[in-house]
Amino acid sequence: MPLLFPLVLSALLFAIGTYAVLARRNAVLVLMGVELMLNAVNLNLVAFDAYLRDVVHSGQVLTLFVIAVAAAEIGLGLAIVLAVFRSYGHIDADRLRALADSDAVDEQIAAEQTVGTEETAGGPVPADAAGGR
Amino acid sequence: MSPLWAVALPLLGACGVLLVPRRWARELSAAAGVVTWLAGLVVAVPQLGAAQGEAVTYATLATGAVPITLTLAVDGLAALMVLLATSVALAVLVYSVAYLREDPRYPTYAFLVLVFTAAMTTVVLADDFFVLLVGWEVMGACSYFLIGHFWERSDARAGAVKAFVMTRLGDIGLLFGIFVFGVAVGSFRISAANDAADAGDLSTTTATVAMLLVLCGVVGKSAQFPLHTWLPDAMPGPTPISALIHAATMVAAGVYLVARLLPVLDLSSVASSVLAVVAAISMLLAALFALGQDDLKRVFAWSTVSQLAYMFGALAVGGYAAGIFHLMSHGAFKALLFLCAGAVAHAVGSTSMSAMGGLWSRLPVTAATMGIGLLALAGLPPVVGFFSKDAVLGVVVDAALHGGSVTDWLLLISSAGTVLVTAAYALRAWLMVCFGTPSAAVADVEAAAHEPPWLMRGPLVVLAAVTLFGGLVLLSPQVLVDPSDPDTEFLHPEIAVTATLGVLVVIGLVYAGWRRSGRRDPAGLMPTRLREFCAREAGFDEAYDNAFARPTRRMADGVVANDRDVVEPYVRGSAFAARGMGAVLRLAQNGNVQVYLSAAVVGAVLVVVAVAAVAGVVGS
Amino acid sequence: MSAVEVLFVLLGVVAVGSALLVVTTGRLVHSALWLVVTLGALAGCYLLLAAEFVAWVQVLIYVGAVVVLLLFALMLTRAPTGPQLGETTGNRALAAVVAAAVAIVLVTTVVAGFGGVRISLDDALLGSAGSTGEAIFRFWVLPFEVLSVLLLAALVGAIALSRPVRHRSGGEGD
Repeated sequence: MPLLFPLVLSALLFAIGTYAVLARRNAVLVLMGVELMLNAVNLNLVAFDAYLRDVVHSGQVLTLFVIAVAAAEIGLGLAIVLAVFRSYGHIDADRLRALADSDAVDEQIAAEQTVGTEETAGGPVPADAAGGR
Repeated sequence: MSPLWAVALPLLGACGVLLVPRRWARELSAAAGVVTWLAGLVVAVPQLGAAQGEAVTYATLATGAVPITLTLAVDGLAALMVLLATSVALAVLVYSVAYLREDPRYPTYAFLVLVFTAAMTTVVLADDFFVLLVGWEVMGACSYFLIGHFWERSDARAGAVKAFVMTRLGDIGLLFGIFVFGVAVGSFRISAANDAADAGDLSTTTATVAMLLVLCGVVGKSAQFPLHTWLPDAMPGPTPISALIHAATMVAAGVYLVARLLPVLDLSSVASSVLAVVAAISMLLAALFALGQDDLKRVFAWSTVSQLAYMFGALAVGGYAAGIFHLMSHGAFKALLFLCAGAVAHAVGSTSMSAMGGLWSRLPVTAATMGIGLLALAGLPPVVGFFSKDAVLGVVVDAALHGGSVTDWLLLISSAGTVLVTAAYALRAWLMVCFGTPSAAVADVEAAAHEPPWLMRGPLVVLAAVTLFGGLVLLSPQVLVDPSDPDTEFLHPEIAVTATLGVLVVIGLVYAGWRRSGRRDPAGLMPTRLREFCAREAGFDEAYDNAFARPTRRMADGVVANDRDVVEPYVRGSAFAARGMGAVLRLAQNGNVQVYLSAAVVGAVLVVVAVAAVAGVVGS
Repeated sequence: MSAVEVLFVLLGVVAVGSALLVVTTGRLVHSALWLVVTLGALAGCYLLLAAEFVAWVQVLIYVGAVVVLLLFALMLTRAPTGPQLGETTGNRALAAVVAAAVAIVLVTTVVAGFGGVRISLDDALLGSAGSTGEAIFRFWVLPFEVLSVLLLAALVGAIALSRPVRHRSGGEGD
């Protein structure tokens, strides 16, 4: 089999994963894009392992490690997504702008500081700037 | 005794007054005055009439070019001035104990008076120009502080600043004159300058330039035309200060300096003429202004300007002895007059002459001593003022009649006129203060008036006695005489008789005018234009304000506006620009993670492409 | 073209197609399901490349655990199940361009580097469970242990992140 087949397939999957990460609104869909990218990498590793006939199977072993790391990563990523959902009530990537640097955010931070540290339990705090951009 | 004691003792007294508890400050200051006076006696009396005093050099300061020596010398002139200064200072300090009894700022006041006395003795004892300059400037500083003693009053603050600025203006000329002397003579010693002048080592041009520059300082310090406007405005200061500084000593320092440098002045006819013209203008103008004033102290202030011009007139024609004699006698009777004004103000509560009248009955001693002082001012026998005025007139007439130039004649006419006007305003003052029936409101105030305490009356009496019997000094005139010219005549019978007759005529006219005006103000009978001219002091203050003060203030406003409107916007603009740039850059931080990631990926792709291109270029 | 190659191309087309559907579909749950198809196709590719243990693990972990996790997340975040027209942001134009650029760069690099190279699958070492296990525990045991620590850290972190926020004054949540 030409080595190009798996490599090109891997490259295409990687590009598609990139598109998903950059273009999808729901945070879970973004994480799916990340999974696609990681799978593309795995395919690349396996292809080279077959090509190079590695004795210690380093390609396949690294693939296994990547799978484990991906699993850990998605666990944590989804925990964060759930936390964000708990705080903000949604997980739209383009609406989560609390870390922006703008006058509106500055005023909001100042207002929060004067109000004091009041923590609400559970309920969503709509603290993000209006969407757009 | 080393002449330094006459400088050091008042300074020690000054420090002591500040350090002791407040309740002993008055007594200590009076004691310091006594000690200073005694030190002055010891230093001065042996040297009266001496030609050259021995100079004592305390230190030499190397300057790289002409050295400055800290030298004091006591000769006849210095001795007379020391006596004058310390005696008037003693009288003033004793007087102040009672006059400023309630004043909480007494320790500072006494400190400044004693420092001033030390500075005055420094000036008269100095044999080095820079030592003289130091004393000169310290006197100016003390004068500033003392005029502004009642600094709650805005006229006191303004007067202090005006006095300081105008005298300082003149002092610039003085400083450059000192430089000229130093360069021309090769030394800053005053005796060296005089010796060079006597020996003919000083060219006429140098002498002219040097003397004209020195005259700038003298004109400022002694309040002559054109720097004459500060002296009447210095009157808001306490009356003893007016007596000490602005009558007897500081303003007399200018006369002293000219007398000291007389050998140099004689070399330069230009400088002498300039001095004569300045004196002529000042004496008549000031006398006329005195005639139009309502405030008693202002009358005396203008009178001081006029009498100082008299002394300068004498010195300008080379009459050393006449000038010095008048300086001493004026010091005595003008101090007396100012202290009387203080006593009257103490009794009545104001120095406005229209708020007085008929005080003869309530304040007999004060009125009598004031009468003696005014008699001396007008120049009638037998008081010392008559003799000194006669001496000055004699010298001036002599100079004019024996090959006199235009300026000498001008001086003569001016002096003659001044004698008459002086008599007029002297009598006017006495009549308005001591006689006549006051208005009802004033009468109420005066009902409570009483003689001042003896601590104030004492100096008045002593000074009156000196004025009355001071003419006896002419029995042994070598005290006053310039040793190089021992045959000076002091009495000129024809001039004396003519002057006295003129004065009596004027007195008659003024008295008649007083009766005509209902025993109020004889000046009310003057033609209105003339009256206004005198009362407004010919508008000199307004003219100076327009010519100098206003443009300066406008310039200052312009600078402020420039800073605020031109420079400040640049500063603020740079901050604004930085903020603006930050706001623009901030637009990239919109919080959208996907935008950030896109940018990162684009960057990575570009880097890869660039690397590939470079590798491709390098590899091929 | 041998059978393996044909099969590989087919599986590749399926994988790319379903991946495209994953990233473009408007229904969120469908997206997760298409991801299953993609991952399954990739497992098939692994098998063709003589990596059977990896294929097995891929199905077990990715399809079995990760996708389930994603579905749970979609459920817990109340993901709408109907067709969503706004599931891609306004960033998609730039994202498309960037993705295309990435694809071009990668494909070009790969083609330039490995243009005519062939894998000889006949001599390929089979990645059976036994040989893979042997390789791990003989040559890769330290990374393996570190990985287990990593998994522990991820576990603890996920639990910590999932706890509700506590009140200062004490109260609800534990």
